Amino acid sequence: MDIGGLLTTAASLMVTGMVGVFVFLTILISAVTLMSKVVGRFDDPATAEPTRTAKIQPQQGVPQAHIAAISAAIAQFRNKQK
Amino acid sequence: MDGVLNLWHATGIANFTFPALIMIAVGCLLLYLAIARNFEPLLLLPIGFGAILTNIPVAGLSEPGGLLYYVYHIGIDSGVFPLLIFMGVGALTDFSALIANPRMLLLGAAAQFGIFATLFGAILLNFIPGFEFSLQDASAIAIIGGADGPTAIFLASKLAPDLLGAIAVAAYSYMALVPIIQPPIMRALTTQEEREIQMPQLRTVSKKEKIVFPLMVLSLTILFLPAATPLVGMFCLGNLMRESGVVDRLSNSAQNEIINITTIFLGLAVGSKLAADKFLTVETIGILVLGALAFAIGTASGVFMAKGLNKISKSPINPLVGAAGVSAVPMAARVVNKVGLESNPHNFLLMHAMGPNVAGVLGSAVAAGILLAIVG
Repeated sequence: MDIGGLLTTAASLMVTGMVGVFVFLTILISAVTLMSKVVGRFDDPATAEPTRTAKIQPQQGVPQAHIAAISAAIAQFRNKQK
Repeated sequence: MDGVLNLWHATGIANFTFPALIMIAVGCLLLYLAIARNFEPLLLLPIGFGAILTNIPVAGLSEPGGLLYYVYHIGIDSGVFPLLIFMGVGALTDFSALIANPRMLLLGAAAQFGIFATLFGAILLNFIPGFEFSLQDASAIAIIGGADGPTAIFLASKLAPDLLGAIAVAAYSYMALVPIIQPPIMRALTTQEEREIQMPQLRTVSKKEKIVFPLMVLSLTILFLPAATPLVGMFCLGNLMRESGVVDRLSNSAQNEIINITTIFLGLAVGSKLAADKFLTVETIGILVLGALAFAIGTASGVFMAKGLNKISKSPINPLVGAAGVSAVPMAARVVNKVGLESNPHNFLLMHAMGPNVAGVLGSAVAAGILLAIVG
């Protein structure tokens, strides 16, 4: 039987396989790190702006139409109370 | 009288053979595990039913002309079903934990040692009389250690179609058993202090990074390991559909309808491979033993790698997350979270474990590609 031969092939496959997986995923790690840096550089101004505008919006206060509606409702309520 | 005799010969009772009855019992056992024990019910239910259907005498569902025969040839022989499932898995996977901490890919790589060590073990089994595993058979069995059903079925259909039924059943059964197999190994290999380690919160990942990621993974696969592109390519397609945000309808279909329909037929087709003459062999026992071994070794090597990383890394890494390197998404990550909480009730490791968990999916796809390239 050539089990011995098969065993050596299996052992070499074990080594090449593990080295292959590690090399591939290590390359992927550096690629992801690099990608995050590059995308981060492009992304910064874009993500910063919407958050700034989002913060400003609530400070602009309640829209005029809402104030009108609320004051009308209050007036109506007070009239009914009398 | 002849008519009655012919009718008798056409009944199941007159045609049952003992091995076929055992296989129907195996099918019923799988149904029981799925329904009563909730073990991977989405797959074990159709597989169990397929096993019953294929062993029905006279009907010949798995012979040329039978439904299961065609389902198997269209879906599994061609490799289409596992790839469609992989597209759906891609559409279901969120890579942000991995993009935020890419070093977790090393844990996904380490856990693949389970695959290659089992390959060696399968060849070693040849010393026992009754086992005759070729290198192809051994590779297909070893991929059970990748803890990834579709990858195991894909590789087995290419390398060892005869063993497919046993390999698929072993892969899915052990994936269901992850909460039982992994914790003792994780506890045995780590100290109480190591299990208590808290990891820093992950940064938020931008949408652009998430869109570029699948494209980058695909390009690297094309450059270095084209044999893995069927698996990785479909996975990346699914993920890009999810993250791009412009094809929500397609992404939803991939996550729901397509993966569900494929799962039904994949299960039936795998079940059709549970014919008595193929399954009731000593090799099946070997496959079941080797599969459990592959899981255990994968878990252990992931934990060891995480321990090593923790020693050299500036930010602390809880060694438990290494166990999630054997894919089995998201079960393995949940197990890590649970074992972590046992040691420190305030330590939630789920998000940290998702990184190595999805890295494990990529790792096993890469390992499958390497095996296909060398052995196939």
